[in-house]
Amino acid sequence: MNRFGFPDLGIGIGLRASHFGEILSRWPKLDWFEVLSENYMDTGGRPQWVLDQVTERYPVALHGVSLSIGSTDPLDREYLRKLKALAERTKARWISDHLCWTGVLGRNTHDLLPLPYDEATLRHVVARVKQAQDLLERPIAIENPSSYLAFASSTISEWEFLARLAEAADCALLLDVNNVYVSAFNHGFEAERYIDAIPADRVVQYHLAGHTHKGTHIIDTHSGPALDAVWALYARACARTGPVSTLFEWDEAIPSFDEVRAEAAKAAPLRGVPVLATGTHGA
Amino acid sequence: MAPELALGGLQRWMQSVIVHPAPIEEALASRETSALLPPGRVGDVLLPSATLAAGERIGIYHEMYLLRMAEALASDYPALAHFFGETRWPVLVRDYVRAHPSRCYTLNVLGRSLPGWLGEAAIVPRRGFCRDLARLEWAVTEAFDAEETPRLTRQQLEGVPPEAWAGLRLVPSAALRLVELRWNVNEWLDSTKDDEHDHPKPRRRDAWVAVFRQDYAVYRRELSHPAFRLLQDLASGRSVGEALEAALRRRGTPGPEALTRWFQEWASDGLFTRLDVGAKARA
Repeated sequence: MNRFGFPDLGIGIGLRASHFGEILSRWPKLDWFEVLSENYMDTGGRPQWVLDQVTERYPVALHGVSLSIGSTDPLDREYLRKLKALAERTKARWISDHLCWTGVLGRNTHDLLPLPYDEATLRHVVARVKQAQDLLERPIAIENPSSYLAFASSTISEWEFLARLAEAADCALLLDVNNVYVSAFNHGFEAERYIDAIPADRVVQYHLAGHTHKGTHIIDTHSGPALDAVWALYARACARTGPVSTLFEWDEAIPSFDEVRAEAAKAAPLRGVPVLATGTHGA
Repeated sequence: MAPELALGGLQRWMQSVIVHPAPIEEALASRETSALLPPGRVGDVLLPSATLAAGERIGIYHEMYLLRMAEALASDYPALAHFFGETRWPVLVRDYVRAHPSRCYTLNVLGRSLPGWLGEAAIVPRRGFCRDLARLEWAVTEAFDAEETPRLTRQQLEGVPPEAWAGLRLVPSAALRLVELRWNVNEWLDSTKDDEHDHPKPRRRDAWVAVFRQDYAVYRRELSHPAFRLLQDLASGRSVGEALEAALRRRGTPGPEALTRWFQEWASDGLFTRLDVGAKARA
């Protein structure tokens, strides 16, 4: 059990527009949905309506890509205000975003750009996580990124940086096991070492996904099923944390709802004692 | 000795490289990026991996930036992207985002300035056609995302006593968009919906289109010029009496029976959300 008292929601998948029809027609059995925050902050049409229907029937958590927690630009207070409103509207069990920055000088590259891991950056990010949590009036979960470059100025490993960030900011962690695998290949470290170093009682959610191997590097494309090696890392992590809300991400060439759900269901025997979750419906 | 690049300087340099429109080698050596970090010192800031040089690693983000922008714009402008084709679309996107980079937490508004830019950018072939096509597609996007408003029914309209009509204002539905066109883009857009993609040749043709939403689906209806003008006057807040008076002064406005049919059709299409008496109506 995590130290925040966040529930174990079981096994979920991302809420995707290509599945709207199927979800609305049969309200399929699923423990929970993860909702991409930015997709629902400014829309009043069908996506908003569908989201309202979904949140009446399933638990959800919000996952964002534009918090830009590591940027040297000020935090976007308008974004945080809308995020807070969305969290209240959806009764989101928690809010998460990435350890990264997305732009400076008022711009947004819409990519999760990496940070150097050193003491100055740690102080910077800790302060901003605290500020965001104050504005949102709740702890947030920070996800470990996948990354494709590293900095000469880094003096701390990513796993130590995350652990110290979580402690100092008193935030939760979303452990993306696929990202650990991807980054381990791209940077030449042992993925197991990373998994073993994460503070287990701060992990409130897992991400799993597929990726694309380019030979010289791996890109976190969220395409296809997860590798056996990623499932093995997940099992290793679960042995330390116990059952924790688990989410399978599939964002490229998205197949049917049933296919994504079937892939996510592979988590069931690996996560420990299953928890009876709310929000399961239909077939 | 590695240059002391504080986090802010590092992020400004990285961003300038990632968003630079030239290929990565030129981007790293460009005047803009060199002013922040000379290309010869990239290796002092970024580490190589076992398989990639430092410049190649930031090149991964550089390549993904344009791909992401092209994909986002194509999702709002699928017909326009189809018109330009796989080779020319990325070139157009590169120039557009250079002029109008994203400054928002969401990609949903990235394309907001595209219609206007297309009307002026020298690289755009058939500027008028492209601008009109973009204006129509953006109207569809806005209609899709607009807030849901209740529908003024035909029965409610028919229940208005005759003596009250002159002073009434019809408040347009939040999803209603009225688009005046000079090119045959509405039929061109229709031609992208079928499998054969039998596109008409771009040609000058005046057309007036109402874009609206019903049951969360977006529709386009071509109107006669007189009908469009009347609808435009009503949607802008003029009273029914004022709008009809102006319509009757215009050539081509039909008699009472046909006018009645227009109002019934507009009610059936859900173009208005409510009746207002007195103050100027705004949706």
